[in-house]
Amino acid sequence: MSENSTAAVETLLGTDENEDTQKDKYLTFHLAGEDYGIEIRYVIEIIGIQKITEVPDMPPFIRGVINLRGKVIPVMDVRARFSIEDRGYDDRTCIIVVNIEGTEVGLVVDEVSEVADIPEKNVEPPPRTGRSTGSRYIQGMGKIGEEVKILLDVQKLLFDEEMQQLLGTVDEAQE
Amino acid sequence: MTMNIDDDQIEIIQEFVTESRDMIEQLEPQIIELGQDSDPETMNAIFRLFHSMKGSAGFLEFDHMTRVAHAAENLLDLIRNGEITLVPDHVNLLCAACDFAKEALEMVESNYADDEMVGDADVMAEQLHQAIETAKGNTPPVEETPEIDQTVEVGVTAELPQLEINDEMRQSFVTEGVELLQNAEQGMLAWGEKSDDPEPMADLFRNIHSFKGNCGFFGFAEMEKLAHQMETVLDRAKSGSPLAVDNPADSLLAALDLLQNAVTDISEGRDGNIPDLDEHLTELQKLLPPMIGEILVEEGVDADHVSAAVETQKKPVGEILIDQGKASPEQINTALKKQQSAKNSQKKLVKSPASRASTAARKQDIRVDLGKLDNLINLIGEMVIAENMLINNPDLKGLELENFTKAGQHMSKLVRELQEMAMTIRMIPVAGLFRRMIRLVHDISAKAGKKVDLVLSGEETEIDKTVIETITDPLVHLLRNSLDHGLEPPDERVAAGKGEKGTVTLSARHEEGEVWVTVKDDGRGLNREKILEKAISKGLIEGDGSDLSDKEIYNMIFMPGFSTAAQVTDISGRGVGMDVVKKNLEKIKGKINVSSTPGQGSRIDLRIPLTLAIIDGMMVRVGDTTAILPTLSILEAFRPNTDQITQTPDGDELARVRENFFQIIRLHKILEKEPDSRELVDGILIVLEHQEDRFCLFVDEIVGQQQTVIKGLSEFIGNVAGVSGCTILGDGGVSLILDIGSLRESIEGKISEQEPASEA
Repeated sequence: MSENSTAAVETLLGTDENEDTQKDKYLTFHLAGEDYGIEIRYVIEIIGIQKITEVPDMPPFIRGVINLRGKVIPVMDVRARFSIEDRGYDDRTCIIVVNIEGTEVGLVVDEVSEVADIPEKNVEPPPRTGRSTGSRYIQGMGKIGEEVKILLDVQKLLFDEEMQQLLGTVDEAQE
Repeated sequence: MTMNIDDDQIEIIQEFVTESRDMIEQLEPQIIELGQDSDPETMNAIFRLFHSMKGSAGFLEFDHMTRVAHAAENLLDLIRNGEITLVPDHVNLLCAACDFAKEALEMVESNYADDEMVGDADVMAEQLHQAIETAKGNTPPVEETPEIDQTVEVGVTAELPQLEINDEMRQSFVTEGVELLQNAEQGMLAWGEKSDDPEPMADLFRNIHSFKGNCGFFGFAEMEKLAHQMETVLDRAKSGSPLAVDNPADSLLAALDLLQNAVTDISEGRDGNIPDLDEHLTELQKLLPPMIGEILVEEGVDADHVSAAVETQKKPVGEILIDQGKASPEQINTALKKQQSAKNSQKKLVKSPASRASTAARKQDIRVDLGKLDNLINLIGEMVIAENMLINNPDLKGLELENFTKAGQHMSKLVRELQEMAMTIRMIPVAGLFRRMIRLVHDISAKAGKKVDLVLSGEETEIDKTVIETITDPLVHLLRNSLDHGLEPPDERVAAGKGEKGTVTLSARHEEGEVWVTVKDDGRGLNREKILEKAISKGLIEGDGSDLSDKEIYNMIFMPGFSTAAQVTDISGRGVGMDVVKKNLEKIKGKINVSSTPGQGSRIDLRIPLTLAIIDGMMVRVGDTTAILPTLSILEAFRPNTDQITQTPDGDELARVRENFFQIIRLHKILEKEPDSRELVDGILIVLEHQEDRFCLFVDEIVGQQQTVIKGLSEFIGNVAGVSGCTILGDGGVSLILDIGSLRESIEGKISEQEPASEA
């Protein structure tokens, strides 16, 4: 599974990775029946689910750490991040490895679908519901024909205040 | 110098800056030592610093630096000769000269000129001169004034009193000499290949010049003479005049070899005299004037014609002379042959490179881009893991592979060696950092009016270079604090029954896979009440703080803006410093321990993790999870029986090991895992020691010992109590490495939430 996905994303991402070709491109994935997308420029690779080593004192959505070819990277379960009910992992579960400002983090999602081209004019601003925990991380709603992809703000997903606070308390527990 | 600076010159200047900085850094502490005891060797070392700085700066035409260095040199020379006595002012003055030089170097580094330093240079030089004058006035003249004047005027090489040259100096002369000569040789070869490139020439010249200086300083007259002659030749070549032979490098190389032999001679304890010195000097002399003309004169050609020919020298001299009918072709041929044979005989002097190999062993450094090193180290780290994966490959389980095992063991050994080697590459001893602090302590103690002995220990302890850079500032702040707040003024100390002089200890050592850098003083200690009062007034804690431990209270001094100092001095008291200490330590994932005894002093440990450390680890298992314990912390392990276990009323479990009772910490609680069994008698208790603290860790099973490459948990995760990092196992999985020091804290944080105590 993991080889397939990696190969797939390589073809999807193409070899030419400059800014222009990555513009308006989103990696889309399934999560609890919805389609989500994240900007392709953050994505490093996609791997199959693998053994995660739990780390104590972490918020529930930080599942632990994995070994990515000698690098130890933390893994965040996006379902848990949105407080969506856990459904366990299967052979379609993928880890999308993203890199933001040098920090690499794995995001566990139900299934990776494709790289989609969503031009700016087809992106609507996020809805102002404010009801679910997840909507804070929405960057916009992308339309491809009739389909709707929820575009996520990876930056917020990873470095939200709440996350900072949690990490902060862990830090203080050190003192 | 300021006008057209090409890349080559820039390179030379940069080298000069780096070299001079190194020298200053090395010698600054020694200058301070000067004040304490005037060891002639220290004196000479400092003298040499200013002398070489003067030389190099002069060569590069940084006149202002030259001026100051020269003045400092004069002062030192007088002191060294006993003509004036050293007073503390001189030490301060020399320190100031070092500061000036540092500043000038910075200027030079950015502008390639020191013109802007003119004002400071004037002041500095004037002060130094004044010091000389005053000292001379105060000291009863040893001899008549003219004598002194002479010493001031004359450079170093001319009139040095016979120095006591000991083996160490001799050794350093040899090391330095060999290096200079080898550099010169490189330069010579480069110059031979590309004689129009000025850079190797300049380098070459500088090397020979410094070598000459050293020889003169040590009084090796013969070597000095030869080097001087070489310098003359090189100077000629540098200024663009043609030399007598078309490849002067050969005879110069021959001379270099002579010098190298002489240096070897010295390293073996002899006097370094050069056999047939005069002959060699003449040999070099021959390079100087256009030689063919002279030979022709000898051959009977009219000297006037020859010089006329030289005047119009466009073609080879010989051809012109033939054209003009002033010399016969035969004469020219003979002359050319003579010239040729002269060259050949010079060539013979060039020894085979093999003979140079016998030159005394020396240390050689190369500068490498840090990024490359990091990559190398990362790669090696990954290789260790890959090796583990290969050797412990699950596919091989149960197979009898004798040859494979052998090959595998061999590879493991090599990988281990490679890894150890790689780890040492980035490591440098803390000595340099510590020695820099000598100056700081000297300055501060003078300012604060306190008497201090700075004791350094563990200077040879090696730490990663970037870590050294990160802890420099923290150390400065900690020392300032100790000196300014910690140590009492002399009278107060005497009143408290202590010695007038305070002691500040700066030490480094390895402990539990970390490096501990400790700043300890025997001053008044931290004032718990004062800190508490301040914390309450700043609203940092709730209540009266009586429930806080000493440790918690002491840690408050690291909060930003926290200062209990009654008054802000220009040394410290603003409460900025300690905050920096904490921030920088956090950057390198270090920790700080503070301890203090009122009236007896305080002690601050900086605990610095090794960057790419390999530790001996003991793997333990709880349920389906494994974790690694540093083997160093393990005292013993045993399977307990029921009588050994006691439960206290407040729920703590204690294990009795012989005469001692240790608290039991359950690893499954820390990792939040389900163990095989919660019954203590079913598992293993491991007695761990962290500093003075001992306790038992309860695990299901000990899996085995293994070399462990420490990897940090991602920055995203940050510090986790009870965990110091993680490692990658042979099967590709990740295992946490437990931090013995914070396990107890980790369990205390959890005790409230965890399951009801139903065990044992």
